[in-house]
Amino acid sequence: MSRSAAPRKEARVPADFPEQVEFCYAQGWTDGLPVVPATRELVDDMLEAGGCRAEDLIANMPSRKVAVTAEKVAINAVMAGCRPEYMPVVAAAVKGLATPAYGLHHVASALSGPTIVIVVNGPIAKRLGINATNNVFGGGERANATIGRALHLVLLNCLRYRPGVSDRATFGTPGKMTCCIAENEEDHPWEPWHVEKGCRPDESTVTLVAASTMIQVWNYGNHEQLLAAVGDALSYLGSIALLGRTPGAIVLAGEHAELLRASGWSKKQVRDFIAQQTARSIADLKRTGRLDGAIVPADRTASHYAIDTPHDLMLVCAGSPIGALSMVLPGFGSSKTAGRSPVIRIEGPGAA
Amino acid sequence: MLDAVILEKAGIPAIPVITDAFGSTGREMADLWGVPGFRFVMMPHPLASLNPETVERRADELVDKVLQLLQEGQPS
Repeated sequence: MSRSAAPRKEARVPADFPEQVEFCYAQGWTDGLPVVPATRELVDDMLEAGGCRAEDLIANMPSRKVAVTAEKVAINAVMAGCRPEYMPVVAAAVKGLATPAYGLHHVASALSGPTIVIVVNGPIAKRLGINATNNVFGGGERANATIGRALHLVLLNCLRYRPGVSDRATFGTPGKMTCCIAENEEDHPWEPWHVEKGCRPDESTVTLVAASTMIQVWNYGNHEQLLAAVGDALSYLGSIALLGRTPGAIVLAGEHAELLRASGWSKKQVRDFIAQQTARSIADLKRTGRLDGAIVPADRTASHYAIDTPHDLMLVCAGSPIGALSMVLPGFGSSKTAGRSPVIRIEGPGAA
Repeated sequence: MLDAVILEKAGIPAIPVITDAFGSTGREMADLWGVPGFRFVMMPHPLASLNPETVERRADELVDKVLQLLQEGQPS
């Protein structure tokens, strides 16, 4: 069975569960892992938990000629293994994909195909058990694994981003199967991400970030030394975001969050300092072919900054309380807004 | 590809130029927009690594074909 096979027009749905799973494979509806067959009853449960009707429009994607209804989202959420109460989060994430500034087609089709990281804020995260701490980018929690997977099944089945056809990622990433985290709002030096963006603490939100890669920064230095290492990770010479200066995201785990809390620095101070640490000499850019031309003496002292709009740098807290580690998510694309959704308020039962 | 499809739908003649690695992707986009016979010109992949002189030469090689297709127009 080719992974890019088009769905068959006429097919009889088998009655027993194992054959239904195989049927879904045969239709090209899966990401490679088995899916839960989306029965009418399970889809209706999902819609009810999401507080929506089947025909409700979740997102309009003109570039893909698709209007994604609540029923389509619910079907894919069922197939991904979501519990019904996850539906409002999945629906909000789909809305994030549809925001024009996000540049979905570039994110979903590019050779350098990034991971779409779903960041969940607000009380719904704890209520649904979305992991914000140990092994946050790894496996182990149903909510994280299936919410992220549901978004990718929507990309595959509703928006028809099929590997090798419309999704042209050279490597892809493991995160293209699923990637969803919650922010650790309790162990935080500052206000959480969604509050910084104007939401109330008791509102729940989703933000999408396209990460061209994920770099762990291990650092036992002081806060300035840590942030210098973070700046280095944001500006490595092979970074796809280096010239476009697409702002990325920094995920601070417990020890680093505590270090920054103890420093007394504001988010703004941290961002400004990180941006200053993303300088690469023009000579280095030319040496590695990122810029054309022969190196001249002035190139050794002239700098290019990978981050020139520090206020756009997303700072969130997540990960284990122990470990002097942060995760740097360099941005993706060639514009300031590429791959970053606005903060999307989660609507429906359980959202607040 | 999508830009060219949208331009054509707006009445502005357009012939997209893509690299041959993206042939299937271009056809998929044309199918999606209901213009399965949409014509485009392909050139060898890659493009991004070419120096400016080679890009100029590539454009010179393609221009006659692009002009020919522009004059013939997209299938209605």
